[in-house]
Amino acid sequence: MDKEKFVLEMHNINKKFKNLLANDNITFKVRSGTVHALIGENGAGKSTLMNILTNIQSPDSGQVYLRGEQVNFKNPLDAVRHGIGMVYQEFMVFPEMTVLDNIIMGFEQKKGIFIDYKESRRKVEEICKKYEFNISIDAKVDGLPVAALQQVEIIKVLYRNADIIILDEPTSVLTPQGVESLFHAIRFLVDQGKTIILITHKLKEVLEIADDITVLKNGRVTGTLLAKDTNELELARLMVGREVILQVEKPEYNIGEIILKIENLSVKDSSRVERVKNASFHVQAGEILGISGVAGSGQTELVEALVGLSNGNIEGQILFNGENIINETVAKRRKLGIGYIAQDRSAVGTNKEGTIWENAIMGYHRTKGFKTKHLLDYKDINSFTNKIIKDYAVKVQATEDKVKTLSGGNIQKLLVGREFLQEQKLLIIEDPTRGIDIGSVEFIWNRIIQMAKEGVAVLLISHELNEVMQLSDRILVMYNGSIIEHKNSRSLTEEQIGLMMLGGEIHEA
Amino acid sequence: MKLKISHEVKKTILRYGISIILTLLFGSILIAIQGESPLEAVGHIFEGAFGNRINIGNTIRWIISSLMVGGAAIVAFKSGVSNLGIEGQLYMGALSAAIIGYSIELPHGLHVMACLLAASILGMLYALIPALLRVYFKINELITTLILNFIAKYLTEYITMWIIMGGQQSANGSASITTPQILNTARLSTIIKGTTANTGIFIALGILFFIAFIYKYTLEGYEFTQIGQNMSFARMGGVNINKSFIMVFLMSGLISGMGGGIEVTGSYYRFMPNFSNNLGWDGIMITRVANNNPLAVIIVSIIWGALKQGALHMERMTTLNRLVVIIIQMLFVLFVSIDYDNLFSRWKEKIRLKKTNSKGGSSIC
Repeated sequence: MDKEKFVLEMHNINKKFKNLLANDNITFKVRSGTVHALIGENGAGKSTLMNILTNIQSPDSGQVYLRGEQVNFKNPLDAVRHGIGMVYQEFMVFPEMTVLDNIIMGFEQKKGIFIDYKESRRKVEEICKKYEFNISIDAKVDGLPVAALQQVEIIKVLYRNADIIILDEPTSVLTPQGVESLFHAIRFLVDQGKTIILITHKLKEVLEIADDITVLKNGRVTGTLLAKDTNELELARLMVGREVILQVEKPEYNIGEIILKIENLSVKDSSRVERVKNASFHVQAGEILGISGVAGSGQTELVEALVGLSNGNIEGQILFNGENIINETVAKRRKLGIGYIAQDRSAVGTNKEGTIWENAIMGYHRTKGFKTKHLLDYKDINSFTNKIIKDYAVKVQATEDKVKTLSGGNIQKLLVGREFLQEQKLLIIEDPTRGIDIGSVEFIWNRIIQMAKEGVAVLLISHELNEVMQLSDRILVMYNGSIIEHKNSRSLTEEQIGLMMLGGEIHEA
Repeated sequence: MKLKISHEVKKTILRYGISIILTLLFGSILIAIQGESPLEAVGHIFEGAFGNRINIGNTIRWIISSLMVGGAAIVAFKSGVSNLGIEGQLYMGALSAAIIGYSIELPHGLHVMACLLAASILGMLYALIPALLRVYFKINELITTLILNFIAKYLTEYITMWIIMGGQQSANGSASITTPQILNTARLSTIIKGTTANTGIFIALGILFFIAFIYKYTLEGYEFTQIGQNMSFARMGGVNINKSFIMVFLMSGLISGMGGGIEVTGSYYRFMPNFSNNLGWDGIMITRVANNNPLAVIIVSIIWGALKQGALHMERMTTLNRLVVIIIQMLFVLFVSIDYDNLFSRWKEKIRLKKTNSKGGSSIC
C-alpha cells in the first residue's frame, strides 16, 4: 500500500474531550480512486476523525495532507472548496424546496446578485447524466424516499466539486435493494476517479465494497488492511476484540437459587420502536451474568426496564425472588434489594454539583432509612459516607467537597461503594470501569467478584468484551434487541463472541 | 481540606466582587451621563433607606415583601421547579386576604390568621394548576405559570370591579378599582409608628429560617436539592420526582399567596389591581443573586428593600428617576449570573492553545 499515491493523509491526529481521548494518535491514509472503509463501534472515534477532516472540529494536534500538500482549513466551507464532501447520516435537506434548490443551496451559480438558474440547472443535469443518477430535479424534496434523498445529498457534494466523498453510515437507512443501487453508484463514482470514504459498522458490506479498511477502537487504529486479504472474523476481533490489560483471579464457589428471572421481556421506547425483543434469562445468587454487545443493541433499555427507570412500554415479566416487579417504582425495587450502577456516572450515577455525602446516601437514605422518617441523621450519614471512603479507598479531602473535584476513578469507587454497601441481593452493573485508571479497574473488578462470592446475584452489562469475559460465569450477547444465549458460553473465544455481537453466526466446529 | 474549601469561597468572592465592581462602574456611568454625581445619588439612597425612624420603617416594609417573594422563589428554583408564577399566586393570595379582611368579623389575632390562611391556601391552589399540568401532561411550567400570571391579574381585577364593587365604578365616580378597606381586626400590627413596617417581618423571617431548615435537615429537602441539581440522579436513587414536584410547587405557591396576604393585611389594607408592581419577579432575581442559599436571601432582601425605599428618596432629591436604581439592580443580577471561574479557565485554555499553535505550527487550526 505504501507505494501507492495517497490523496489524503491524516497524521498523528489527537483529540481530547474533557476526559475522553476520542482520537489517540490516529494516522489515516486514503489511496486515490478507492473505496476506503472506516469501521468501528459507536464511540470508536470515526465521527470525530471525519469532523476533524471536514474541520467541524479542530484537533489538539496532528497534520492533514491533501494530494501531498499540508492543508490548514479555516472553516468547514474551506474543506468543501478543497474537494471534500460529506454525506451525513441525517440528511440535511430543506423539505419545502425542490431537489434543484437543495443541491445548489449556498453554492449557486450567480449572475450579478441574482441566481443563474439556467446555468445551475445545466450543471446539475450534467452531473446527473454523467454519474447516472435518475432523479427528477424539480420534484419537491418533501415526500421523496430516503434512497432518493441520499442521491440528492450525493449529487450535492458532486455539484460542489468534491473528489473525496465521505459517506456516513449510508446503508443504515436503506433497504437491501437501496444498498445494491448505492453500491452501484459508489463503484461508478470510483470508476470516474472519485475517492470514497465509507463509515460503517456492517462487516459484510465492507468486505463487498471496500478496497481498503481502517479499523478504529477506543480512539485508536487497531488495523489497516486490504479487504481482499481479510475476513469477518478478523474484522470483528479488531473492532470489538478485547485488550487484555489486566487479569483477575476468580475463585470457584457455589451458585445459589434464581434471584432474577426475566420472561419474554419486550421494551418499546417512546417512539414505539422495539428496543428489547422478547428477552428471557435469569441470574442466580452468587453468579455473575455478563451481557456483551455493541453500543445501542438495547442494553440501556433492558437495564432501564429492570431498574424501573423506563419511559417506554414494557411487556413480559421481571421476577425478583419470584415476585413480578414490572410495575414497581425505583424506590420499591431498591428496597427489595436491587442495587444499580448506572453507565453514565456523570449524568446519572452522581450529582457532580453535590457534595460527597449527598452522593453517598442517594438510595441509602430511603432503603436503609434513618432513625426518623423525615429528618437527615447526620451521624448515620457520616458513618456511612466514611465507610464507603474507607472500604472503597476513595481519595477525598472532605465529605463536604463537591463530587466534581474528584477524579473519574474515585467518583466510580464512591458510586460502586454506595451500591455495594447497601446489602443488596441483586446488583445491576453497567460499564463499571469505563474510562478510569487501571488501579481502580482492578479494585472494582475484585469487589464485584467478592460480592458474587458473598452470594449476591450480579448482572454485568459492559461494552468491554474483556471485562465480561474476565468476570462472568455465563455470557449473553445482545444484538439488535435480542438476547443470544450460547449453551456453553464460557468456552467461546473472543472472536466468536465478537462475531455474535456484530450479528454473525458461529458455526460449531 | 482547607485548600479545597477556600477554592469554593474564593469563587464566591470572585463572583460577587467582580459583579459589584462592574455594577458600580456601569451604575456610575449611567448616573453621570444624566448629569448627577454618582456618590451623591448613593448618599441619597442610603439616607432614604436608613436616614431616620420613618425611613427605616418603610425599608422594613419593603424587606418583608422581598423576603416573601424571595422565599417563594428559592423553594421552587432550588428544587428545579421554574415557578415564574409567583406574581399570579401573589394576586390570588392578596385578593382572598382582602375579602376575608373586610367581609367577616373576627377577634383581632384570629382575623389576621384567617386572612393569611385564606391567602396561603389560594396561592397554593393556584400553584397546583401548573404542577398538575407538568406532572400529568408534561407541559413545561415556564409557559403555564407565565400564562397563569395574566389570568390571575385580570381575574382578580374582574372580581374586584364586577363582583365586589358591583361594576359601580363609574356610577359613584370613584377613580380607582379597589376592594373596601379591611377591618382593623384584620390588620397586622405595625412595629414602627407612622410607617407600615409590620409584624409580617417575623413571619417572613420565620419562613426563611424554616426553608433553610428543610433544606439542611430533612430528607425531603435533601431530595429536592438533588432533583434541582440532577434530576436523573435523583430518579436513579428512587426519589419520587412527581410527588416532590407537586410538594415544591405547593410550598412555593403557599409562600407567594401568604406574601400577597401580608401585603394586604400589613401595608395596603385593601386589594387593588396592579398593587404588586412586578414584585413577584423580584423574588426570582433575589434567589438568583442569593445563589439558591436560603440564608443569603435574607441579606439580599435587606439590600433589595433598602434600594426600593432609598430610590424613592433619591428621586425626590435629584433629577434622577428611580428606574435608574432598578436598571442597576438588573445589571447586578446579570453580572452575578456569569460563571467567571469557567470564563477565566476557558480564556486561559484558549491563550494556551494559541501559544502552542504559534510555537509549533504543527496544528491545523
